[in-house]
Amino acid sequence: MRTPADLTPLARDVMKLPAGPGLIIGSLLAAYLFNALPWSGWLLLARPDLVMIVMLFWAVHQPSSVGQGLAFFLGLAMDVNDSMLLGQHALAYVLVAYGAQVIRVRILSFPLGEQTLHVAGLALGATLMILLLNLLLGADFPGVAILLSPVIAAMLWAPISGILYLPGLRRMRRENAS
Amino acid sequence: MIHDPPPFFHRGPSPLARLTFFSLVAIAIMIADHRFGALEAVRLSLSVLVHPLQQAAAAPAAMLGRLSDYFTSQDRLLKENQELKAKLLEYAADAQKAQLLATEQKHLADMSPGRSRYATDGVLAEMLSYGRNPFTRKLVLDKGLSQGVHSGMPVIDADGVVGQVTAVGTFTSEATLLTEKDQAVPVMLTRNGLRAIAVGSGKDGSIDVPFMPVSADIQNGDLFVTSGIDGTYPPGLVVARVTAVEKNAAYVFAKITAKPAAGVDNHRFVRILTAKRPELPPPLPAGDDKRPVREKAPGKARARP
Repeated sequence: MRTPADLTPLARDVMKLPAGPGLIIGSLLAAYLFNALPWSGWLLLARPDLVMIVMLFWAVHQPSSVGQGLAFFLGLAMDVNDSMLLGQHALAYVLVAYGAQVIRVRILSFPLGEQTLHVAGLALGATLMILLLNLLLGADFPGVAILLSPVIAAMLWAPISGILYLPGLRRMRRENAS
Repeated sequence: MIHDPPPFFHRGPSPLARLTFFSLVAIAIMIADHRFGALEAVRLSLSVLVHPLQQAAAAPAAMLGRLSDYFTSQDRLLKENQELKAKLLEYAADAQKAQLLATEQKHLADMSPGRSRYATDGVLAEMLSYGRNPFTRKLVLDKGLSQGVHSGMPVIDADGVVGQVTAVGTFTSEATLLTEKDQAVPVMLTRNGLRAIAVGSGKDGSIDVPFMPVSADIQNGDLFVTSGIDGTYPPGLVVARVTAVEKNAAYVFAKITAKPAAGVDNHRFVRILTAKRPELPPPLPAGDDKRPVREKAPGKARARP
């Protein structure tokens, strides 16, 4: 049994084979469903943005398939879901995707624990971006719970990475066996 | 001349160029949506596409609710039934009285050229998505232009005013709740007819009534209904009940907080009042004796060169 810490070198091997579009679309759809749950009150404020985390995962591991363009459209979809002013999430996600493109090699050189810190930074940036835009538009500060959202999202980075590695891992085992 | 890289190294514009491009597009969209409201229809039609996903996400919770409904004891249902019957009787008297009043009012309305001030027409709308936006309080409803819904129509539930339609698509519309920041409703105290304007506080479940003098006769528990003087809300709809009155002689105005009577944050079905409100008469220039002059206006216009 491998501990999360030594998953990283393995991760590089696992992710050598590109993941299929089915896995990417499926994981993004699942994340979107999670975000679309009927959240309300402070739970809504603290809701970890899974769409952003999964998008970030693919932007880091498979930059040829997921980049700023997809991030932009995912952001629009999230704006529609949250019935927000169109473009806010799009801007935040594009920033996150850009961050991923710039530091992806650096992120991948670390084990999952340190990766989480990098992800926390990017997620906090996205949250602050949306918060700032809304404050500029005249909204009140919705509550401190909104700062909980990027923290929870970053903590979900490791488990989500583990889950998304699984199909590649299985494929690798199968190839080793044959 | 420097050779171009071979095509398999070609990766399109640099990340920074992409970032600039997409950021500018996002900002342009935001400005178009905020300033000109140009994308309301786009967003509302997109929300129709997203709706099945939202329903799928809410399905497990809905199913649990239905399961627990199924196993509700007969005892409770019987009790509820009794309560509802009692309520029905209670309302029956009111309804008959209202019928009488409506007939009487119709007679009066027939005599005078103005139309009825009390809106009764409406469409039942189901909520498509709750306000999942932590910054504003809005509902997406499943009725739109094709059902005769227009921007500005009041939205009510069984207990009172919920809000107002603020954006309309072909099959959906968006209602802004009473509690949304700066959402104003002209109201009247039922106890003494005092008129005021209730303004959403931006917090869940509370509205403010600003600019009321410290000497104003407002008490805890007073009921605010719509006054109907804005021409948007028909008069007499229940809006809110006063929960706190803070009078401090140091300030010019009292601080009055009220709780919306309608279940502003929890409803599945609401009613959009679609009746056309009568046109308000144009404001009189000055004094009361100008009216005859206006009636003579066509003649005067002809007299002019």
